[in-house]
Amino acid sequence: MFKNIIHLKMHEIKKSRLWHMVCLIFIFFLYASPVSAHRATIFAWIDGDTVHTQSKFSGGRKAVGAQVEVYDANGHKLLSGKTDNNGDFSFKLPKKTALKIVLQAGSGHHAEWKISAEEIEEASGKKAFYEEKNPKVAVNSSQTAETDPIEESPKKIVTLEYNELKKMIDESLDKKLAPIIKTLADIYNRGPDIRDIIGGIGYIIGLVGIALYVANRRNKN
Amino acid sequence: MHISEGVLSPAILIGGTVLTTAGVAIGLKKLDQDEIPLIGILSAAFFVASLIHVPVGPASVHLVLNGLLGLILGWKAFPAILVGLALQALLFQYGGITTLGVNTLNMALPAVICYYIFRQGLGKNAKRSVFALSAFFVGFLAVFFSGILVGFSLYFTGEAFLPAAKIVVLAHVPVMLIEGILTSACALFLRKVRPELLEGIYV
Repeated sequence: MFKNIIHLKMHEIKKSRLWHMVCLIFIFFLYASPVSAHRATIFAWIDGDTVHTQSKFSGGRKAVGAQVEVYDANGHKLLSGKTDNNGDFSFKLPKKTALKIVLQAGSGHHAEWKISAEEIEEASGKKAFYEEKNPKVAVNSSQTAETDPIEESPKKIVTLEYNELKKMIDESLDKKLAPIIKTLADIYNRGPDIRDIIGGIGYIIGLVGIALYVANRRNKN
Repeated sequence: MHISEGVLSPAILIGGTVLTTAGVAIGLKKLDQDEIPLIGILSAAFFVASLIHVPVGPASVHLVLNGLLGLILGWKAFPAILVGLALQALLFQYGGITTLGVNTLNMALPAVICYYIFRQGLGKNAKRSVFALSAFFVGFLAVFFSGILVGFSLYFTGEAFLPAAKIVVLAHVPVMLIEGILTSACALFLRKVRPELLEGIYV
């Protein structure tokens, strides 16, 4: 085919101008945009009592101003909102049930992300733990300090330290894991790679082979 | 252009699947053994074309190439597009398996319609300029009609038709122009170098 194009150019330079242009357009788009196209994805994760979501079109383009709807396990709509300029949308956990987060990016683009009840229980349980247990422990230790300082206090102090320590570890883990979660979101939202493309073409060649085989057999019979 | 899973109502999904099955059946009936490799090549071209994308405002649209397939294959564009879309759904998660019927119909039907509208202009004895212009409009209008069909599909599921169709069609205007030029160039090239590939039109 390329030989033919060259042939054409040598003989009819004027007529091949159109071709030139088309080839250039083709090459421009091939290079201007790395492998990329049109699928919407949403990725969500829990941080304390907040759920963060990130929405994208495949190829990395952010879904700006897209509608995000949150449903509970029974399909009741809990809340909805729009993504910001980075394609992000965050909301406070409305209820301790499994969540289904739906992205409606318009023109038939639709994506879902599910968060199980256990995951939410764990994340919100962590928060409740600090709020409820810590004050109680603090009161206990102050009381025991007055009444029975020798026997009770070492034990209470240990629990207090344990709670504080757990909180500190959780906080620093959240901070350290944030980039990893971001990376995971990016990987989840990534477009098709060269393996998918070659694989697809391989499938088509295979189908052609099967079709020709069947046709050949029919001819022989 | 690819409608994802969970957007359309079951009635539309079933209707699209039935019509696509009919289209594929007609295409396969018209299929000649010699044409199998050609259909494979065009199916592969369609499969890859979706990866060439054109940035338009906040979103991006991609080449469709359904006009080119319609021009060369006629009804046989149905099986070719079905295979391309099925692989895109499986490997890239564009569209979906349940929406395969509707998506195939949305892209293949305009291809066939354009094939019949512009058959005359693409004839063997047509003037070069008429031929080029007809091929341009096959590429241009195939994408345009596809946009309208996508709008229709969304309309039957509850989205308002005019805004939905307008968004899809407007977003695809650059693609229509590029597809028109591309289809025209390819058709001219084939007419010059491999005129036997265009014989389907003359029958």
